[in-house]
Amino acid sequence: MVTMQDAARGESDQTVIVELPYPTAAGAQPFTRADVVFTGVDHSTSSYEVRLFFNNPAATAGTPRAVEEGYAGRFTVFGHGGCYGDEGHCEVPEPSTDPTDLRPPHPLTPLDTYVTVTDALRALLAGDTLRTTTLVPVSLAPRQQDRGPAPELLHFADVSLQIYLTATESDAPE
Amino acid sequence: MGLRKSTAALGDAEWTDLRDAFTAAYRLSDERGYGFYAGLHGLPLPAYCQHGTVLFLLWHRAYLYFFERALTDALRRARGDPAVAVSLPWWDWTSATSHHAGLPAGYATDGGNPLAAGPVTLDDSDLATVRRNLPGAISDGPSPVTVRDPGPPDDLPRQRTVTRALRAPTFTDFSRLVEGIHNSVHGWVGGAMSAVPIAAYDPVFWAHHSMIDRLWYLWQISPRGVNPPAWLLDRALAPWPVTVRQVLDVSRLGYEYAVQVVA
Repeated sequence: MVTMQDAARGESDQTVIVELPYPTAAGAQPFTRADVVFTGVDHSTSSYEVRLFFNNPAATAGTPRAVEEGYAGRFTVFGHGGCYGDEGHCEVPEPSTDPTDLRPPHPLTPLDTYVTVTDALRALLAGDTLRTTTLVPVSLAPRQQDRGPAPELLHFADVSLQIYLTATESDAPE
Repeated sequence: MGLRKSTAALGDAEWTDLRDAFTAAYRLSDERGYGFYAGLHGLPLPAYCQHGTVLFLLWHRAYLYFFERALTDALRRARGDPAVAVSLPWWDWTSATSHHAGLPAGYATDGGNPLAAGPVTLDDSDLATVRRNLPGAISDGPSPVTVRDPGPPDDLPRQRTVTRALRAPTFTDFSRLVEGIHNSVHGWVGGAMSAVPIAAYDPVFWAHHSMIDRLWYLWQISPRGVNPPAWLLDRALAPWPVTVRQVLDVSRLGYEYAVQVVA
């Protein structure tokens, strides 16, 4: 697991590079599913997507989403587009420990998400090993012309690679 | 029983009913009208929508249910016909047609089509903030409407992505996968649809979410379909006077999906 603070900056500070090595303890065991799991993802800003590239620390927003480039998948954040309330309206409070507090979580509570990278990881491990994962945030502004690299939008608590050996075929590749 | 069909399967009369219903709803400025329902998703505050939580599918099913009923009410009053009804169509963005043409033709931006853009009936303060934070989301001027700036049609989600989601083994897994697909379509449409606070003012929002609700329905009737966790079933879906349990069965909500158009 790597926290946002511990992650390295990539090309022109526009990307984030994390080391999520394939666990050596897993050895050559087969796996049926692999997810890159993010916790604490911010969604208070405008919408954006995050593209994942394996072993391509030079990847940028202009890098094709192609297997040859190490592209492994992406996730999209549907953003709230800034704050529309008074001062403090969009400050997310700490989770309540009061058992009588029935109020729902703050709408801007950071979310957890994942990208399933089973096929990409399996293909990579066939001839190489996983060294780095480059996270490329790209804005999804209302106008296409305004879209591009958006390092300021990507904030998360931590990211990890989770490998599964499941008992059903539901997670197996097609 | 209402039948939600694909936008590709709607006949001329059904498109006319849908356009007339949206037009009638646009004209209502109270809690029966379009602005009220669109606003519940974001602006004006408070925002009730659920994103990034396990309530995503559940809350939006209730949202579409109450909006669909309001559309029918508005159309009946406008026409003076107590028997007429409309159902929300679904936009299959995985279809070959969508991957070639993008948005459904019935939502095209031409000649006063009420499904091409929706009025953004916010106060001056909210409008100013939207224009500052989200340039290009709404039109200029004193009576703004939603704007779109779609991406290349072939960038829309593919059937294999949906198929992968439909193989999810748990409700939580399915919900997260479908929400991710949903997010990407919001971004693809661009304009107002790309931002939570004003997305529901665009009429195509409802066709997009009808597709999302349909996918959940398809998963529900599949061998993998299971209910949400038991601890969630009695949770209220504010502001709607219904619980999670009450939205699980679409037949009890009075609608059905045309899974396949036979003829």
